[in-house]
Amino acid sequence: MKNVRKDFPILERKINGRRLVYLDNAATSQKPKQVLEAIAGYYSNHNANIHRGLHLLSEEATAMYEESRKKIAGFIGANCPEELIFTKGATESLNMVATTWGAANLKKGDTILLGDFEHHSNMVPWLEIAEKTGAEIEYLESDENGEIHLEEVEKKMTGRVKLISLTHASNVLGTIVPIKEICGLATEKGILVSVDGAQAAPHLEINMADLGCDFYSFSAHKMLGPMGVGALWVKREILERLNPYEFGGGMIDEVSYQKATYAAIPARFEAGTPNVAGTVGFAAAADYLEKIGMDDIRQHEIGLNKYLSEKIKEIDGLKVVGPKEPEKRTGLASFSIAGIHAHDVASVLNDYGIAVRAGHHCVMPYHAKIGLTGTTRASFYLYNTEEEIDRLVEGIKKAVEILS
Amino acid sequence: MQDLYREEFMEIFRHPQNKGNLENPSAFAHKKNPMCGDSLVLRLKISGGIIEDAKFESEACAVSVISSSILTDYLIGKSVDEAKKINKDRLLEMIGLNLTTSRVSCATLVLYALEEALKNYEKESE
Repeated sequence: MKNVRKDFPILERKINGRRLVYLDNAATSQKPKQVLEAIAGYYSNHNANIHRGLHLLSEEATAMYEESRKKIAGFIGANCPEELIFTKGATESLNMVATTWGAANLKKGDTILLGDFEHHSNMVPWLEIAEKTGAEIEYLESDENGEIHLEEVEKKMTGRVKLISLTHASNVLGTIVPIKEICGLATEKGILVSVDGAQAAPHLEINMADLGCDFYSFSAHKMLGPMGVGALWVKREILERLNPYEFGGGMIDEVSYQKATYAAIPARFEAGTPNVAGTVGFAAAADYLEKIGMDDIRQHEIGLNKYLSEKIKEIDGLKVVGPKEPEKRTGLASFSIAGIHAHDVASVLNDYGIAVRAGHHCVMPYHAKIGLTGTTRASFYLYNTEEEIDRLVEGIKKAVEILS
Repeated sequence: MQDLYREEFMEIFRHPQNKGNLENPSAFAHKKNPMCGDSLVLRLKISGGIIEDAKFESEACAVSVISSSILTDYLIGKSVDEAKKINKDRLLEMIGLNLTTSRVSCATLVLYALEEALKNYEKESE
């Protein structure tokens, strides 16, 4: 892990005269030069629109696009590449689940179960579809340690529940949700499970066959890949019965003036020119992560969590939200400091070259539930170091000094 | 942003002017900043077209508090018509902070509360 920093040119940047400490990885990760070179390589040597070009560049672009699909499907342990649809990111993937599966399968009297700390992108699409179909939304309550327990899931899994949509890892608390166990309970009752994997796919080894869920959404840009590309994985037998999400070129079988029939999966869900370069970068990112090893990345992040937990004990009034145990969290810590606004903490940290995020992190209802308007979040990735955490802690102390 | 946490601004932040409640206000607005969830209540006492008193209550960051303190201070004694003329650029000039794009909305929360409060006031006076 020590040698990875040299692959990330941006980490050399100076901010306000100091070397950048980038701790906003839960918002987006930085990109290694291997990913940047893969994208530049595609545009420099192969760029063409895919499918039916009948010229060499188009054949190459098509092959690269489908190779990327194979790579990403393999990275998440999918049974076959056709189960993986490229989207513009986890938000679009989650919207796709709600508007295709949701619109076709929900009716008045049905219930959708969500976690109480979902990101708005796994909540608002369901609020919208519930409004349209008359279905209801219920929430799984997390405990004071920021965990969702199986007893709570079992209790709320009534006969009316048609689908559970849950984050795999919370973007505020870092909580890793026991998706595999929840899927076990849901399958017994014929309830489908949709997972928001945006914060899990970058940090945990994930395997679709092992997890047992039905839908899995994630973004490339949080896992070393480029912005504007992501994926939705859907269990084959469900995907084959789903209606298309968008309509246009690339997704049809046959079109007459009166009628259109649609292509087989996955093309049926990919209308229009896709972000081919993005998927090539996505695949390069998956290659990079595999080379380092997801298990090593996880251990590295647990180590940073533990180190930070010890260090911030020195700061009066600082409280980390979410699981107290560092190993129950992905590599992040969101915290509040009594009497000091999260934005001010983040601004002072920026003066010292440290990038963190502050606010409600697109999870307003949960912040309201725990009585905070916002938190400051430091989120780690494979290139972060203990020295950077020392600088973070030093910066927080400075912020407390200035603002109180 | 470097100058934001300068001592003179921090002094305003720690001891802001016109923070608190105002009984029986003539105009009132409650504004939220969706970007950060901050919330601010502005209350005005208006008599004969003149703003006699202005008070704010907020759960907000230093930029918002400083901006609210400076704006309410300015408003007291001004006419409603003068108050209506204050726009974003005028406010930013008034507070004199060097703000980054994402912090401008912290400063303007109180301004949008003022605009809404005056609109409410005029609607009620009609």
